[in-house]
Amino acid sequence: MTMLEPTPQPITLLQRERPMRPDLALVASYIALSVLGLLMVYTASAPRLIDLGLNPTQDLERQGVFVVVGFIAFAVVSAFDVRHLRRWVPVIYAASMLTLLVVLTPLGRTVQGAQRWIDLGPLGQFQPAELAKVAVIVALAGLLALKPRALRWDSIVRAVVVVAIPAFLIFKQPDLGTMLAFGIIAMVILFVAGATWRQMAALMVAAAVGAVVLFQVGAIRQYQVERLTAFLDANSDVLGAQYNLQQSEIAIGTGGLFGKGLFNGTQTNLRFVPEQSSDFIFTAVGEQLGFVGAVIVLSLFAILLWRILVASLHARDRFGQLVAVGAAALITFHVFVNVGMTVGVMPITGLPLPFMSAGGTAFIAMSIALGMAHSIWLRRSPVPGERAFDHAQAP
Amino acid sequence: MGRPQWRLQDARVVVLGVVMILAWAGIGYRLFQVQGADAAMLSQRGFDQRVRHEEILPKRGTIYDRDGIELAVTIYGSSLVADPALIDDPAGAAAVIGPLIGANIADVAVKLESEGRYVPLARQLEHAEEEVLATAIEEAGLDGFTFVEEPVRIYPSGTLAAPVVGLTRLDDGAGIEGIEAIMDGALAGRPGSRIVERDAAGRAIPQGELLIEPAIPGSDVILTLDREIQHTSELALGAAIEEGALGGSVIVMDPSSGKILAMVSLPSFDPNDRSALDPATLRNRAVADVYEPGSTLKVVAVAGALELGIVGPTTMIETPHEITIGNEVFEDHSELPGAMTVADVVAKSSNVGTIEIQRRLGNERHYAFLDAFGLGRPASIDFNPEAAGRLDHYSAWCYSTCGASAAIGYGIGATPLQMAGVYATIANDGEWVEPHVVAEIIGPDGERVVSEPRRRHVVSAETAGLIRQMLLGVVEGGTGRRARIDGFSVGGKTGTSVKFDVEEGVYSEDETIAWFVGIAPIDDPAIVIVVVLDAPTGLLDDGTELKFGGASAAPVFAEIAESVLHQLGVTPDKD
Repeated sequence: MTMLEPTPQPITLLQRERPMRPDLALVASYIALSVLGLLMVYTASAPRLIDLGLNPTQDLERQGVFVVVGFIAFAVVSAFDVRHLRRWVPVIYAASMLTLLVVLTPLGRTVQGAQRWIDLGPLGQFQPAELAKVAVIVALAGLLALKPRALRWDSIVRAVVVVAIPAFLIFKQPDLGTMLAFGIIAMVILFVAGATWRQMAALMVAAAVGAVVLFQVGAIRQYQVERLTAFLDANSDVLGAQYNLQQSEIAIGTGGLFGKGLFNGTQTNLRFVPEQSSDFIFTAVGEQLGFVGAVIVLSLFAILLWRILVASLHARDRFGQLVAVGAAALITFHVFVNVGMTVGVMPITGLPLPFMSAGGTAFIAMSIALGMAHSIWLRRSPVPGERAFDHAQAP
Repeated sequence: MGRPQWRLQDARVVVLGVVMILAWAGIGYRLFQVQGADAAMLSQRGFDQRVRHEEILPKRGTIYDRDGIELAVTIYGSSLVADPALIDDPAGAAAVIGPLIGANIADVAVKLESEGRYVPLARQLEHAEEEVLATAIEEAGLDGFTFVEEPVRIYPSGTLAAPVVGLTRLDDGAGIEGIEAIMDGALAGRPGSRIVERDAAGRAIPQGELLIEPAIPGSDVILTLDREIQHTSELALGAAIEEGALGGSVIVMDPSSGKILAMVSLPSFDPNDRSALDPATLRNRAVADVYEPGSTLKVVAVAGALELGIVGPTTMIETPHEITIGNEVFEDHSELPGAMTVADVVAKSSNVGTIEIQRRLGNERHYAFLDAFGLGRPASIDFNPEAAGRLDHYSAWCYSTCGASAAIGYGIGATPLQMAGVYATIANDGEWVEPHVVAEIIGPDGERVVSEPRRRHVVSAETAGLIRQMLLGVVEGGTGRRARIDGFSVGGKTGTSVKFDVEEGVYSEDETIAWFVGIAPIDDPAIVIVVVLDAPTGLLDDGTELKFGGASAAPVFAEIAESVLHQLGVTPDKD
C-alpha cells in the first residue's frame, strides 16, 4: 500500500522527513482477520439461508460490502494526520452524542427489546454506540493530551463526565456491555495519561459504588445482573443465557484440536448456537477450525495489539499516544469479553468480535480506530519516546 | 537528544502490554481446556443433544371387507411437538395453539413451560388439521413447534361393523378392541429403528439419518364381512331397537363355510370420533353377551333323540298342559293338543313335549350333544373377548329339573355366535363349522394365509334334514310365522327367555331376551341368521307383546333374510 507522498516540510528534530511505509504486520493481520471473518460469516449463515430458501451468499455479500467500506475508512484515516483531529474534538464528541440521543427518539429502531439502531433505509442500520466508542477515545485523548504529567483531580472529573454522558445515553438503550467498554477505555487512557494510583483506586471505588447505587434505585434490573453473572453458575437459566453459554462451549469443544472443517460444524450449522454469525462468530471458528484456528485468530489480534502499542510508544505527541492506547483498549476489551463469553469465562454481552462479527457499524468503527493508530505509526517520531509536549516542557 | 527517554506514560503502556499478554494467556488456557481436556466430553454432549435413536413405526395393515372395501386403514398424519426451550412466550403460544387442538389453554401453557425438549401436544392430526395449525403458527411467528410424521388410523366406513372391527389405542396405535385387538400381531408389523440427527429446532436433517433396521409393515386382514349385508342388517336391527329395546345383535352366516357375512351389535359407536365414545358401546354383544337361549335350544335335545333313534319325527309325545318335575312345574304357553308328533312339538314349541323327549334322551347324552354343538366354549378364535357361555357338566346337573331346564334352554348360557353355530350345523347337514370373521391375512410380501375353520361331525345329514323340516314347520304354521318371506322356504325357531340380571342375581320381572334363529332356503341353506333383542317392549297391531321372540325378532330376521338372499343371488325355491 503506497501512502501519500510526504509533503515537504522544514526539517526539525521532531519532524524529520521519512518515507511513510505502512505497518505491514498490522495491515496484514487486519486483512487476514477481516477475510477470515467473511469466511466464518458465510459458513455460519449459508446453511440457514439455504434452509429458508434464500440466497446462501446473502449475508456474505452484505458483510463483504461493510468490509470494503471499512478498508476504505482505514486507508483514509491512515492517510490523514490524526493529530489534526485535536481541533475537532468538541465537534466530533457533540455529533456522536447527538446520534446517541437520536437512537432514543422514535427514529431509533428496537430489536429484541434493545433500542440500538437507526434505520438508514437502503444503507442498512446504523449503530451509533459503535462510533461513539471511537469518539470517546478521541475526546479523552484531546482532554488529557495537554495536561501536566501528574493529572489533577479536576482533569479526572472532566474525563469522567466525558464518559458518563455517552454511558448514560447507552444505559437508556440499554446496553451494559458497551457501558463497561466505555469505562475500561476511560480507565486505560487515564492510566496512561498519568493518573496516580490513588486516583485510579478512587475511580474504581466510585464505579463500584455507582453500580451498587444504580442497582439499589432500580435502574439496573435484577435480570440484567443475573444475565451478567449467569456464566458463573452452571445451573442458572436466565432467559436462556445459560443455554447459549452451554451451546457455545459445546460447539467450541466439539472442534477439538484441528476442528471439524468448514461446513462440518454440526452445532453451529444446526443452529444450536444463537447469533452465530454476529456475537457468537468465534464458536464458528472454534468448531470448524479447532484449537489451532482459534489460536491463530487470537495471535492475529495479538499482532494487531502489539503494533498499536508500539505505535503509541512512537507517537509524536501525547494526543496520538492516548488515541493509540484507546484503540488498543477498545479492541482488547472486545476480543477478551467476546471470546471469553464463548468459552464460558465472561458474561454474555452484546459485544462483537472486532473485524469478524457480522455487522457494519462495528466493523467500520473498529477500522477507524485501527486506522488512527496506524496513522500515528506512519507519522512516528524517529526517536521513540521523544514528544512535542515533553520537548516543550524540557529545560 | 540521542538516547530514547523512557517516561511514565511509556512505562504504563508497557504495563498495559503485560496485562494484555496475561489476558491472552488466560483465554488461551481456557481454550485449551475446552478444546483439549474437555473436548471429548463436550463433543459427546453435542452428539447426545442432536442425535437420537428413534423407532420407525411400521404402517399398520388395512382391514378390508370381503370385497376389498376398506374398513380400517392407516394414513400418514402427524403430531404436533413443542420444544419448550425455544418458546419465549408460553402463555401467548398456548393461546394460539390451545383452541386449535381442542385443549385447555392453561394446560397447554403448562406443557410449554415444562422441562425437556420434545413435548407432544396433539396426536393423530390429519393433513388438513396440520395445515390449519401450521398456518396459525406461522402467522403468530411462533418458534419451537414442529410436526412429526405419525400414522393415523381412520375408519372409512364409520360406524359400520365398528364393534367387530374395533379400535386402536391413540398412544401407540396398538389394537385394543375387536379385530384390531385380536389380529394385532398381524396388523401391527414390526417397528424398525434409525439414528436421526436433529437441528436445534428438532427438525431432522436428511443427510444425518442412518437407517439401522427398516420397519416391516403390518399384514392386511380381509374379513368375511360383506359391507352390503352388514349395512342391511344394521338398518333392520336398528329399526327394531327404535321400536323399544335396549339393544341387540344380529349374525348372518354362511353355514357351509362358517363365514360370518354380517355381525351387528347395537348400540354401536363411531371409531372416528373418540371424544364421544361410550365405553359400554365397545362391547360386541354378538360374541360377548351370554343369554339363556330359551326355546331356540330345544333343537339340540330333539336332534339328539332323533340321531340316536330314540324318537322319530312322527313319534307321538304326550303333552299335558303342565308337568311337575321335582319341585318345579313346567307348562306350555298356549293351549296345545294332549299328544303331538315330535315335529309338532318343535313347531308349536311345546315345553312339556321337549322335556319328555329330553327325559327319554337322558342327561348324559343330552350333555354330549350340547357339547358337540359347541355350547360351553368359545365358538371362534376371531373374537376377543368371546364368552364361553355356560354349560355345566351333566354330573353337576341337578337330578331332575336341570335336565328339563336345559331341554328348553334354561340354566345354560349361550352367546348369539354359539347359537349361530348350532343352527349352522343343522343347516350344514350335521357338520359344525367354526364361525369365523377373518377370511385371510395378506402379509407385506404378498403371502396369503387363508383361514381354515375347524369342522366336526355332530349329527347325521338325515337328522339335520329332519330338524330342518321341523323348523320349516315352525315358520309355516308354528310360532315363527312372522319370519316368512316371499319366494323362499324358511325354517327357524323363536325363543323368549326371561332376562337374568347378572348383577342382582335374579330373573327380571318383565324384561326378556327375544330370539329368532333361522335358516333359508330350508332345503339348500345359504344363510343362517341369529337375531337377538335385549328387553324389547311394546305391542304389535294385533296385540302380541313384542317381548316374545316370535313377535319382535322374527320380523327382523325376515327383513334381513329377504334382502340378503337377493344380494347373494340365491334362487327362490317357492312361488
